[in-house]
Amino acid sequence: MNTSAVARLEWRRLIVRPLAWVLAAITLAWLAWNFTLLMGTFLASQMQRAALPDSPGFTDLVAVPLLAQLVQLGFMVVPLLTMSVIAGERRSGTLPLLFAAGVTASRIVLGKYLAVLGWLLLWLLLTLAMPLALAHLVNLDWGKLAAATLGLILTLAALAALGIACSTFASHPAIAAAAALVITLALWYVNLGAQMAGINGGAINWLAMSSHLQPMLRGLVSTTDIVWFVLLIAVSLTLATQRLSAERERG
Amino acid sequence: MTANTRSSAPVLQLDHLTRRRAGRRAVEDVNLQLQRGQVLGLLGVNGAGKSTTLSMVAGALRPDSGTIQLNGEDFLEYPELASRLIGWLPERAPLWPELTVCEHLDAHGRLRGFKAKALRDARTAIIERLELQPLAHRLAGVLSQGQRQRLGLACALLHRPALLVLDEPANALDPVQVAALRSVIREQAASGTAVILSTHLLTEVTAVCDRVAILHEGTLRHDGLVHGNDHAALERTFFDIAMHGNASTARAA
Repeated sequence: MNTSAVARLEWRRLIVRPLAWVLAAITLAWLAWNFTLLMGTFLASQMQRAALPDSPGFTDLVAVPLLAQLVQLGFMVVPLLTMSVIAGERRSGTLPLLFAAGVTASRIVLGKYLAVLGWLLLWLLLTLAMPLALAHLVNLDWGKLAAATLGLILTLAALAALGIACSTFASHPAIAAAAALVITLALWYVNLGAQMAGINGGAINWLAMSSHLQPMLRGLVSTTDIVWFVLLIAVSLTLATQRLSAERERG
Repeated sequence: MTANTRSSAPVLQLDHLTRRRAGRRAVEDVNLQLQRGQVLGLLGVNGAGKSTTLSMVAGALRPDSGTIQLNGEDFLEYPELASRLIGWLPERAPLWPELTVCEHLDAHGRLRGFKAKALRDARTAIIERLELQPLAHRLAGVLSQGQRQRLGLACALLHRPALLVLDEPANALDPVQVAALRSVIREQAASGTAVILSTHLLTEVTAVCDRVAILHEGTLRHDGLVHGNDHAALERTFFDIAMHGNASTARAA
């Protein structure tokens, strides 16, 4: 009950603040513009692709690249969305009110996480609506699109968990946003050096977020990749919960 | 949890409550009891440990040692007791500036597990009692300090708590609002709610409190009844403790 009350409170705060609306408007306009560009390229290359056997279709050339752009936007959007979730409450002095209402640290973190996740899923749904609107006109690869969508959901869920963990540790929302961005980029590019050196396996590649999302964007879903995202979410939320519990202990 | 509840138990019992803050003992070995309907004034100079004590009683801060019992139940073991038993108005009523007065009350009700109908009824009742109707749909961020205090008080009273914890509630209130606040406190006490009122104002204590406790350097130096309007005696006790650390040279208030 407490978790849903916290989620509802956070959701309400999220939708009455202009930041979430501005972020949604700018990013969706950007994605819509890119969607038209991708469609233009797709239509222009239709004749060439018709001559090739097993040529890439609408899903490979429009839907998945659009979703890949959403991930890149997510690197900026999620830290901005999550920065105030705990750090903002701490600064305005409202965090003790939640403790005093008998809400445990884990329920506070989970409730706030669910609210942010709800916003991100809505954002993903609105982006997905663009390629889906043409589903009756083009030949969609539903399996590949489902795999890519799963990858996107897991990535956004992981970014949200990271952002909330940063917001829990940071004293100021801006520091939380910067920390979340740096950690996200570090996780994304951690294997870049190894790849440039021609190393394509090993622990460093396993650590990189990109190496777990890319297969799903290509339509390959593996348990290892799913477990990686789930682990990242669990570790981030656990750290956030422990930090918040410690804060209550310390005062 | 309920098996440990004793109907005759005091609403609040603090035993050897101790808490360190910023490397020093903010509260040390505080023992206190509060019965139903009692109004306790908590006095002390700045830094005496009043807000730390109240934060622990409200469940916002955990003590380093000691116990807190609410209606005979161990509050530290069952922190969820706060949601139904305690109403807390911290100093400077923290609010979510982007939410309206009604949304604040709804949020507090939901956090305390209210169902929709019960929440609507409780919200209407408290808005009427504290005359918040004209502010009901106004954002908390644009309220004056006095209006913020009233909203904070409304949130604290929404669920009819057994213990009302007020941390310097008269700050920033005008004389009319102070009188209204006193009336609410007396009304709550008459209905059986125990009230702890932290304040700097001795007049506040003589006006509404049955008992007074004085904290100094984190320890409880005085705990006694308030006799009518014996303001002078209370003042002597308070200043003796504030300046010399004990009330030995003064009459008990």
